[in-house]
Order: sequence, then C-alpha cells, then structure tokens
Amino acid sequence: MSQDVLVVAEHLQGNLNDTTFEMLGMGKALAGQLGGSCSVVLIGGDDAMAGQLGAADSVVRVDGESLADFNPESHAAALEAVVGAKSPRVVMIGYTSMGMDLASRLAVRAGMAHAASCIAVAGGERIRATSQIYGGKMNVTTDLGSGQCVVSVLAGASPADAGRGEGGPAPESMAPPAVAGRIRFKGLIEPEAGDVDITTHEVLVAVGRGIGSKDDIEVAEELAEALGGAVAASRPLIDAGWLPKTRQVGKSGLKVSPKVYLALGISGAPEHLEGMKGASTIIAVNTDKHAPIFGVAHYGLVEDLFDVCEELTEQIEERQGC
Amino acid sequence: MLSQAERIAFIVLTVLCLIVAAQGFRRIFKIIGRGRPADRSDRLVSRFAKTFLDVGLQRPMFKTRPVASLFHAFIFFGFSFYFLVNVNDLLEAYVEGWSTIGGGPVASGFNLLSDLLSVAVLVGMVFFLVRRFVGKPKALEFNANVKLLPRVRQGGVRIDSLIVGIFILLHVGSRWLGTALHLADKGHGDPWLPTASAAAPLFSGLSPEALETGSHVCWWTAMGLIVLFLPYFPRSKHLHLMVAPVNLALGRSTPRGESDPVIDSSQPGATALTDLAWPQILDSYACIMCNRCQEACPAHTSGTPLSPAALEINKRYFVNEAAVGLASGEADGNLLDFATSVEAVWSCTTCYACVRVCPVGNEPMMDLVELRRSLVFDGETPDELAEVLRNLDEKGNSFGQSARRRARWTKQLDFKIPDARKQSVQYLWYLGDFASYDPQCQEVSQKVARVLHAAGVDFGILYEGEKSAGNDVRRVGEEGLFDALVEQNTQTLAECEYQAIFTSDPHTFNALKNEYGTTNGDHEVMHYSSLLLELIRSGSIELTHDQGGRATYHDPCYLGRYNGGFEAPREVIQASGVELLEMPRNRENSFCCGAGGGRIWMQDHEDLTERPSENRIREALGLDGVDYFVVSCPKDLTMYRDAVKTLGHEGEIEVRDIVDFVAEAMGLDAS
Amino acid sequence: MNIIVLMKRVPDLVEDLEVDDTGKALDSEYLKLTLSEFDDHALEEALLLKESGGGKVTVVALDDEGVDKMLFTALAKGADQAVKISGAGNIDGNLQLARIFTQVIGQQPHDLILTGVQAADDRDGQLAPTVAALLDVPCIEVVTGVTPGEGQVTLHKEYAGGVLAEFEVDLPAVLGIQAARQTPRYAPVSKVRQVQDSTTIERVADASGSVSSEFEVVVMTPPETGEGAQMLTGVDELLEILETKGVIG
Repeated sequence: MSQDVLVVAEHLQGNLNDTTFEMLGMGKALAGQLGGSCSVVLIGGDDAMAGQLGAADSVVRVDGESLADFNPESHAAALEAVVGAKSPRVVMIGYTSMGMDLASRLAVRAGMAHAASCIAVAGGERIRATSQIYGGKMNVTTDLGSGQCVVSVLAGASPADAGRGEGGPAPESMAPPAVAGRIRFKGLIEPEAGDVDITTHEVLVAVGRGIGSKDDIEVAEELAEALGGAVAASRPLIDAGWLPKTRQVGKSGLKVSPKVYLALGISGAPEHLEGMKGASTIIAVNTDKHAPIFGVAHYGLVEDLFDVCEELTEQIEERQGC
Repeated sequence: MLSQAERIAFIVLTVLCLIVAAQGFRRIFKIIGRGRPADRSDRLVSRFAKTFLDVGLQRPMFKTRPVASLFHAFIFFGFSFYFLVNVNDLLEAYVEGWSTIGGGPVASGFNLLSDLLSVAVLVGMVFFLVRRFVGKPKALEFNANVKLLPRVRQGGVRIDSLIVGIFILLHVGSRWLGTALHLADKGHGDPWLPTASAAAPLFSGLSPEALETGSHVCWWTAMGLIVLFLPYFPRSKHLHLMVAPVNLALGRSTPRGESDPVIDSSQPGATALTDLAWPQILDSYACIMCNRCQEACPAHTSGTPLSPAALEINKRYFVNEAAVGLASGEADGNLLDFATSVEAVWSCTTCYACVRVCPVGNEPMMDLVELRRSLVFDGETPDELAEVLRNLDEKGNSFGQSARRRARWTKQLDFKIPDARKQSVQYLWYLGDFASYDPQCQEVSQKVARVLHAAGVDFGILYEGEKSAGNDVRRVGEEGLFDALVEQNTQTLAECEYQAIFTSDPHTFNALKNEYGTTNGDHEVMHYSSLLLELIRSGSIELTHDQGGRATYHDPCYLGRYNGGFEAPREVIQASGVELLEMPRNRENSFCCGAGGGRIWMQDHEDLTERPSENRIREALGLDGVDYFVVSCPKDLTMYRDAVKTLGHEGEIEVRDIVDFVAEAMGLDAS
Repeated sequence: MNIIVLMKRVPDLVEDLEVDDTGKALDSEYLKLTLSEFDDHALEEALLLKESGGGKVTVVALDDEGVDKMLFTALAKGADQAVKISGAGNIDGNLQLARIFTQVIGQQPHDLILTGVQAADDRDGQLAPTVAALLDVPCIEVVTGVTPGEGQVTLHKEYAGGVLAEFEVDLPAVLGIQAARQTPRYAPVSKVRQVQDSTTIERVADASGSVSSEFEVVVMTPPETGEGAQMLTGVDELLEILETKGVIG
C-alpha cells in the first residue's frame, strides 16, 4: 500500500464537474500530509479532459467503448482494477449520483474503510475523515485507521481552484476489465427545455417549503421580476410539481453561483446548500431563527417571506418609478 | 254538480292515478330503506309537534331570502288551505246542491280565505316563475366546474319548476275562475268572495250554458290536474310538500358538533348511495332545489367545484332515474359517479352553513364527511393532507414540529404557567395546535396568559402533553387517527385535576365539548371568551381604559353556528369600550374563513376566484368607519390577516383578537 | 417478481439533536426515530411495481421499540409480508447493517431489492450499494421510475441538473430509490389497526455474526456556524444591501 491519494474524476456530457477539482485540491493537501503523491483516474472521458487534470502528480486513464458513458458496472470494475494496481492509501470519490455507485462497492470488495459525505480529511498514521450527517446538523469524525480507505467527498467541501491546472504528465493507460454486462446503458434523457436557465442569472429568488402554497410563488415571481432575476426552488417544491425541474437548486438539481441569492423559506439542508454555496451574497429569510441556512448566509432576516416579498417589490417598483 | 258519467269518470281517473302514484311512493320507501340504519325514533311526538309549529310559521324558510320566503308563505298557506278547498270541491261535485256560497259564518269565512289565498298563491307563483325565467338570478346557477348529471345540466330543475308552476297556476287559477263563473251565473257578487266577484262581471255576457260548461271545465281542470299530478310527485321536487315536514321532524337531535359514529368499521364512510344512512337518502327527496345551501357555502362562493345543492339535486335525479333497480335491490350507484366529484369532496370546510340554512332539514355536509371517511380508508387523500395526518400521528400536531416545542411560546412570559399534569389547577387551558405553534397566534396566547395572570386566575397547561384534539382530523375522515388522539388525550386529562377546561380554539372547543363524550367526565368546557366575560363580570378583570373605535366581530363557525356561542365575545368587545357594528352575515349566518375541514392543510383549488376570507374582509370593509375586524379563533387570525394583506388593505382595517382589547383596556404593559 | 424493501429508522431531524456525554453519539433522551424518507419512497415504488406487474413485496427492518408500527403501516399499504430482525444489538453503520440484511435476504427469494438512495445517518457509505456488493449483484443509486421486464428492469438514474440516464439491469439487483413515481400513499390508522389485529410480523434472529465497525467515531459535534449571517432588522436594511450590491439602482 502506498501513501498516495487517488482522486476519481467525474464527468458528464463532455465536462468534468467541479467536485473533481475540489477533490484534487483536497487530495494534494492530503497527499502532502501523508508523504505520498496525488494521482487522478479518468474513466472514459477524452483527451481534453485529461489535459485539465494537470494539478495531479499523475493521471491514469481507463478508456474503451464500454466506458464512453457512465455505467456503474463497468466503471466500478475499472476503478477496482486501478485501485488494485496502484494500491493507494486513500481513494477520493465525489459524494454524487455517480460516486454513490462506485464508493461503497469498492470499499466492500477491497475491504477498505469508508466515510461518506465528507467535508474534511486529515492524514497521518491514521486517517481521520469528518462527515456531515443528520441533514447538516452534526459533523462526525471517523478514525479510518492505518490501512486503505475510501472517502466520499461532499461537493463544495474545498475550493475548486486549488485543484485546477493545465497540462501535466502524460497519462498512463490501463485496459478496461471485462464485465458480465448485467447493467446496460441505454441513453441520456435531457430535461424538458426550460423557459429559464437559472445558472445564468445574477439574481435568484429561491423559494423553499416555507412558501406555503403554490399561489405564494406569485409573490416571489413578482419580486424576481422587479429585481431582474429568476425564481429558483429547493427540491420539495419541484417534487410537488409547483415549479419545473429546471428551477431546482441543489445536489440533485443545478449548481448556481449568482451575485445575489435570496433564500426564502429555505431551511438550509446540505443537499440544497450544495447547489448555491458559491453565491457571492446569500440573503436568507425564514421565520425559524434556528434554521441552518443562517449559518451559511451572509445576511439573515427572521420574518414572514410573504411580507418581505411584497414590501421589497413595492419599494423597488417605487424607486424604479413604476 | 257533476253528471253521473263525470262522477264515474273522475273516480276511475283517480283510482288509476293513485295506483301509478302508489308504485312510485312504494319505491321511494324501499330506496330510503336501503340506506344504513339511523335511530331517529326518540320523542316522536315532540319532534312532530315542533315541526308542526316550525312549518306553520314558516320559520325554516325565513332564515334567509326574506322576499322569496314571503311569497312562498303565500303559496304555503294557500296550498295548505287548499286541502279544505279541494274537499269542498269534491263535495260540490258529488253532493247535489252543496255550496258554501250564501252560507253561514263558517262557510263565509271559508269562502273569504279561499278567495284571498287563491290570489296569494297565484301572485306567489307568478313571482317565482318570473324570478326564475325572467330574472334568472345567479343564485340558481352553479359554478362551471360543479359536477351535474346530464339531465340536471340540461335544465331538469327548470323544467320541473315550469311543470309545477304551470300546474299550480292552472289548478288554482281554474278553481278561482270557476268561482268567478259561478258568480257570473248567479248574476251578483258575494262580499265573501271579493276577488272572484271583481272578475265575475267579465263573464256576465256569456250564456248560462256557456257558464255551466265553463265551470265544469274549470272543475275538471282543477281537480283533474291534482289527480294527474299525483304520479308526478315521486319524480318532482314538489314532493317536498310531504317529505320536508317528515325530514325536519326526523332530523338529528344530537348536538351539531357531534359527528355520526362510523356505522361499519370494516368499511367506514360511504362509497355507494346505499352506504349513506337513510336520513341522507331521505334528504334527496326533501330537497326543494332552492340553492340556499350553495349560496351560503364558502367553497362554492370561492369558485370551487363544490355545491351542496348540486349534491342533493344529483342524488334526487339519480334515484329518480334508477328508481326501479334501486327499489328492487339490484342497482346502486357510486356517489363519486353521479353525485359529486373528488375535488368537491375535499373543498368542504365543514362550516355547517348548508345544514343550518336548509329549509327542509337537509344535511349535504354529512354526505361529504362520509365520502371523506371512505376515501381516507382507501388511502386516497390529497398529498398535502397525507403529510399532515402523518405529522399528527407521529408528533401530535399538524405543523410537523417537535412535540417538545409545543409550549415554547411560554418562554417569553415573565412568569411560569403551572403544569396541569403535575399540580391541580382550577382551569385547564387547552390551546390547540395553532395557538401553540403559529407565531402570530403565539402572541395572542401570550397575551391571554398575561391577562389571566394579572387577573389572578388559577390556570395551567399541559405543556408537551397536549396533542391536537382532533376535531378536523375527524372532519377529514380519519376516524382511526381521531380515535387514537382521543385515547391519548383522554388519558392525559384523566391524570390531571381541574374544575373546568377552557380553550383558545373553537375547533378544540367543539371536539372536547361534543366529541369526547363522557370521557371528559363532568368537567365544563369553555371557550376563552366565556372565561374572559366571567372575569370581567366578577371584577377580576378591571377594564379601566376605554378603547374607543369601531369594530366588527366575526363569528367563528365552531363556536357560533355549531355551538351557539355568539354573545360572550361581543360583550367582551363592548365591555372594552369599543363600538360594535354587525356585518350583514352574522351569528348563525356567519361566513366561514375557509380554514376548517382540514382546508387549511390543503392547497387552494386552481379554479379559486376569491378566498372566502377575502370575501369576508370585503364585507367588513363595507361597514362605515370600521377600524377593527375582531376574531376569537387562531385560524381566523391567520386567515384574515393574510386576506387583508392580499387585498391590499393594510392600514385600513386591523385584524385583532378579543383579548387585544381586554389587555389594552386593562392597561397591561405588554402589547 | 419478489421484491424486498429494506427499511431503516433514523433520527427525526425536526427534533433538536444533541450530543451525549461521550461526545461521540446523539443524546438518546429526546431522540425520536422515524422512517427514513427515501425508504418510504422505495416502499411506494415496490407497491406500484406489484400493482402493475404482480409480485410479492416483503419489507424488512431491524427490531426496535417503534418498528412494529412502521411495519404494520407498510402491510396496511399493501405489502405482503413483514420481517423484523432481532438480536442485532447496537448498529454503528451501514456496513454492519448491510451484513445483517444480506444474511436475511439470502434466505428469501429475491429478484429486486429496493431501499432509499441514502439516509440521514449514512456515515460509512450507502446501504444499497453495500448490500449489493455483499450479495455480488448489480446496484444503481438515485433511481426514479422502474419498469419491470423479463428477468430485468429498466430504470432512470438521476444526475445533477435533471439529466436522466436510462439503464437496463439484470435481476437480481439492488436499487437505491430517490423518488417513487408518486408520493408515498397514506395508510389510515384504522387500517393499520385492522392489519395489526389480523397479521403478524415475522421475527427472525440475526445470524450474520455482524459486529460493529473497527472504524470508530472519534467525535461528534454540531457544525460551527462560523460568523453566521449578519441578522437584519427589516426590509429597509435588505434594500440597502441590494443597493450596495448593485442589484437595484
């Protein structure tokens, strides 16, 4: 077993996701603590992607037709092969949809310790990983021992810029192992073309469960209009069908980084925070002064969101001379 | 007066019509009999005696629509009297020489009445026909999204009205005309037949034979129509003549706020027509299709698919059409197929307005609750409602918040409210979910606590031991959960020592008073308005700062209409030195805020035109110079404050609780 | 099709969570357990599959004080059989739990194993892929919408931003459900009580020999809130901030 850190790159539709770079930054720091190197494995993907992984000390590529699109079976097998060959101390996988298909399976089959939803990893003789659980209400640190371990890293745990870098060493190639073919990829389905791309807006008025009823979304829309922004929402409202999926911010939705993110009636569960932590200014409005969102927001207001929306809209329209 | 041939012909006609009619009536009995059991046999004599008086004075009609009720009274008295008139006509026809004209004082009195009442009936009937066919009042129409049977949608009620109207006009008209012809024949008027005498000269030009023929024609028209109408009765809303008094007499004698027990716990509620208790099926035969219930209904007024009137009318048209199969036991019908829609079922706020206003004693709301029971049992609830029910089950409150936080509102007080679970108190205060968890309502709870504390009242609360009393759980049809809550709350209360309970919430008040039965023992249950009034009267609360201003008070459904609690809140407001104005719809006629029946837990219907609460605020704003809209229910507080905001009238009218005035009038520091 | 639904009870996040005296676990005094939200969706999806294509649904959970009600509720919703596993002792993670479940699953016919995509107490990975790895069967996480086929199922896997991937998976397989096709149905209390009187929950003893993880918790703390939000007093201040950020003129 080496003292190396292996980061598993993740990509979809031709783009590496931010988590990859966040993990590279974290991985490099961790490798430094362990006295080893930080490599990254790219399963599938293309040369352009490989070229973006310059921050790593080495790149391993496993490529082949069966790996063109993400497939839990073939990708897990490929990862297992790489881990078997390289024997890293720590394997870092994103705590994402794809990551979930890989991490636990690897840990069980390779007999490695595993910590999920991690926001920090500390290296040394024994690895310690801090996980965020119970809806973000508790952080728990686990002693992952002195052997190998898998760490599933929460998006946004580390700055992505620390992991960016062009160029780097020529990637090493490994052949994809054969698989039984029990999982077959059939194709991707794009969400219905949305009216609005919330990732491009500078101002987002986001609504959560505190909104009460579908009718109240109107007030948010009026405010968004007055501010020249767009309405976004957390998962519960999307599930209830009150807004289309293209408006969803969060772990299973979109990641946004607007100038101003107005979080109305949103409690601040980690799954949602994952999607908007990058906003420059987060202003939260909630009647519950203990809501976790106030821990992340820059400004907070404990008031009824309906009142706030109405008053804001009114005042803004007055100023604009409407 | 009739010839022998005519006499025989009439008897034959009558017998034939009676046979056909009897078949129709027999089927009605059988169909009603297929309903589930209900015991209405207590104190039968006093039931019918009361109904005799009510109907005789037309009291149920005059609850609303005074003008229409007046004209109906004409028709009612006229038609009631016409029983004697028709007997007299038969005597005239079959007994040679029988006539009341020129007779003694009884006969003359009879003549006068029959003359005047004939005109009254005609005037009344013309009024109703003109109203329906020329005036076309909106009240007689349904919302576009209300489910109607095809024959109803095609104007079945109008056709029925026309037939009945024409029948009455012809029957009474021809009888009155016959009298006029008779007088014309005699050649002179009769002071006891003023209107007929006035018309008689018109016919004086006719020959005696013509007049004779004319009066026979009139007789046959009048009496023939009655007999021919007999088989039509079972199919017509005119049946209410016979059914309404029975329906009124056999109405429930239990408190309004006490729900019917579940009849069959393996199959609770109603899916098919015959799952309804027989009085509910009787309702459809009593219905006069006047739409008073719909007019009073907050759900229909706000544009939703619910119409209690359509519910009963659809039922009636269904039992008419399917009468043969229903009576023989072969056929049945699903209520959600013919009577109403699922959306309508969930639109009901259970405000009781439809039941209260119905002149013939119908209870459409009960049908809806039975439908809810069966839908809930099949797990078919609106999604939001399912979540609330789960919260109530797991946490004992509809907010989904921790039970531990139930008494958090007390932290703001600078004194500790005794824990009724641990020490005996005089008054046990049962708050309810909203008064405990909603931020606006918490402020009111705090004020009530301060007021009572300042008045030296010995009261306590159950802290985390309190769970929702379950009033609206029952009204959305979750009987099992309701039973579970009753069990738990009863046990909690049984371990406490107290003399009386008072509640912040009318819904809680209703449940504890009427639905918890004898499990509550002999403890009195009060609404806090009664307690405040008691304290004011006894001097424990001294109101030294006259408040001034003008206020209007909104009667909450579960305190007012359900339990008759109208005056205490008003006296409290007035004792605080505030002038009280009444909205047009007040006391029993109060207009629901739209939160009851679990509606506050559900989403608004997409066809909603205006919330009931907004409708009510506009009504209040119509009062000259009103400053305050006063409530005595936590849900009213939140609904009406929202409505004032949505309508954009903040600053013009302020929504307050009665305790706000008391606190200020007492000069309490905290506001 | 034989469907097994694995159900887990987790701390109810509505309650205040506190750390106990050891500093490593939650204070159990006021702890309330509730069914993991995604497991409820897994059950709903299982019931929908049974209703549309036939089959048998078995729900499995660990025995604890409140588990009976949860299992009877599942039966009232339409599950065919409920199994509770007793004698397992303190569970400290999904790996230990997965071993217990796997041993019981192995004794039942199983074509499809459903459970929630994740749970609030997932410290050492997710239950679904862990069980799948132990059984050596395929697993897909974050599933919405399952369509049965011959010896296989077709499903959608959700990625961020609403993109879906369609997969075909050979049975037996484990799926981690994100959302069922419709909101989990309601089981009325009276029906649950009816079921309670008429059915029994099967009880099996844990024979997995599973032990707690050697990878222990070092410490549990509430997250630092950092400086936290600067609390404003009213809409006016909010307007000022929007102005300074250049959002409104």
